[in-house]
Amino acid sequence: MNTDDWLRAFAAELYQRRVGRDAARHVVAEAATHLREGGGDPWLVFGSPQAYAAAIVESIGTAPGPRPGPVRLHARGITKRYGRQVVLRDASLTVRAGQIAAVVGANGCGKSTFLRICAGLVSPDAGEVTVSGRLGYCPQQGGTADFLLPDEHFVLVGAAQGVPRGPARRAGRAAARDLGWDAESAVLARHLSGGTRQKLNLTMSTLTQPDVLLLDEPYQGFDQGSYVNLWDQLTRLRDEGRAIVVVTHLLNQLDRVDLVLDLTPAHQGGRS
Amino acid sequence: MNRLVTVAEMTLRELARRRGVILLLLLMPLTFWLIRRDSYVGQSVRALLLGISWAVSTAALFATSAARELEPRLRLAGYRPHHLYIGRMLGLWALGLAIAVPFFLLTVVDANNLRYGGIAVAMLCCVAVAAPFGMLIGALLPRELEGTLLLLTVVAMQMLLDPADAGAKLTPFWSSREIATWAVDHTDDGYLTRGFLHGMVVTVLLIVTVAGVFAVRLRRRRHLHHVPIA
Amino acid sequence: MDSDRRGQWLRGVLDLCVLALLRDGESYGYQLAQSLDAVGVGPIQGGTLYPVLLRLQRTGLVTARWREGDSGPARKYYQLTDDGRAALRHGGNAWLAFVAPVTSIVTKGVDG
Repeated sequence: MNTDDWLRAFAAELYQRRVGRDAARHVVAEAATHLREGGGDPWLVFGSPQAYAAAIVESIGTAPGPRPGPVRLHARGITKRYGRQVVLRDASLTVRAGQIAAVVGANGCGKSTFLRICAGLVSPDAGEVTVSGRLGYCPQQGGTADFLLPDEHFVLVGAAQGVPRGPARRAGRAAARDLGWDAESAVLARHLSGGTRQKLNLTMSTLTQPDVLLLDEPYQGFDQGSYVNLWDQLTRLRDEGRAIVVVTHLLNQLDRVDLVLDLTPAHQGGRS
Repeated sequence: MNRLVTVAEMTLRELARRRGVILLLLLMPLTFWLIRRDSYVGQSVRALLLGISWAVSTAALFATSAARELEPRLRLAGYRPHHLYIGRMLGLWALGLAIAVPFFLLTVVDANNLRYGGIAVAMLCCVAVAAPFGMLIGALLPRELEGTLLLLTVVAMQMLLDPADAGAKLTPFWSSREIATWAVDHTDDGYLTRGFLHGMVVTVLLIVTVAGVFAVRLRRRRHLHHVPIA
Repeated sequence: MDSDRRGQWLRGVLDLCVLALLRDGESYGYQLAQSLDAVGVGPIQGGTLYPVLLRLQRTGLVTARWREGDSGPARKYYQLTDDGRAALRHGGNAWLAFVAPVTSIVTKGVDG
């Protein structure tokens, strides 16, 4: 691990520990300056990236990331039957501004249905949902127009909020870049690869600056890099004070979420 | 207003890119015209009008089916239902006019002794009715294939029914047929008035029904309460 | 055992040393480390020094700003604030009051 690798790892550690972006930048730059002037092995000068990041967090106070704010999504007693089969029984979830909630559970346990009920696309048989502020929803698939360009999607979504074309296009491309996708190319949505189309899908749902963002397995077809970008993006949105709900069957990212709702039958209800 | 125009524009852009479909749709009125051309001009005008109705309503059906997944999220993004269906209808009417104009010129160039004003009004009726008609079928039937078959049935029925038959008035494109009779056979003005009135009433009824279907489909659900952020 | 004990002592007094060094004018991390080494406190690693500087900055005893050096890269320069000066006086006196008896006792022990 050379100096640059160490600095990168250190920056990632600070980010994981939710040190403010500006503060983290300063600390990393100062360490880089020190190493440039004095030379030496960063492992000896500063110790491991993890230990030094922990020391920094201790010095500049507890993680300055925004504490969870007011409740943005409150779903209570959600019950849904399809015919005789009960898909959801009395499911509840409360997500505050600045939190990511993961909805997990076996296939067919009603994860997507729960999300669609929260989005108001499906009516439950019982239960209520209260949403504060604007709602954004990213479906598992579909939700894009085959014969439109990415830019045209951005314009279409932007116009919903009265955003003019130019700014809507720029905002869309910027949001796409955060996912590691260059959306400027003139390719119809139908010719995009599955993963890229899903990035378009995701970009559309964040474009309206939603206060509550509902994502249904948003990473289908993503490669590893895009997957990392996605979680970085979600963390960023969370730190901006959005409330985020992600339906997922991948459990390896649960350390990055604040709440987990497990919909597997006989094990329902939220836990943190 | 901007939202309506944007939806209309995107509808047009989508359809314009489905070149293959558009060409096939145009082929139908054209072949109708060419097949009947040598025998009796009245038949070929009627076939042409039906062909235009078919082309526009099929385009409307495709556009509506394609937007099925997109519309709920556009609704969440801030569109009201009427922005979506009226915007789409405006785009389809514009497309319909673009299809009708060359065919109108075809009748002017290729046939004599017609009331061309009547032909134009009949084509306008076709376009006016076909857009909401295709949208309604697209909204009610989940798949394009089923919708296309239903449209085909309606058009075939329209072609086979005797327009004087009382039941024929219940078919959506009866107006164009009545007006075409006025334009081709130089019948009395009652044909024109009846036809025009029929076209207007059917268009309005279809728009109201489309509005109802969209309002239900994109309704705010009762279980979901929106609270503004203080 | 020596370096271990020295480390423990340093932890208690490094902030005072840094404040004292900054009394004569602003400085940056690497320079402070070198100064401490030069006066004989011993080598101070960045991993020890910067958390102290950040804590002083957070509590308002020093301020910092990024500035291009005369040569070389931009550096983060630290200055003593009035609060820092007061803390230095206060803490310095407390330290002296602490080490004087310690020195006296230890001196007897060593000499004896």
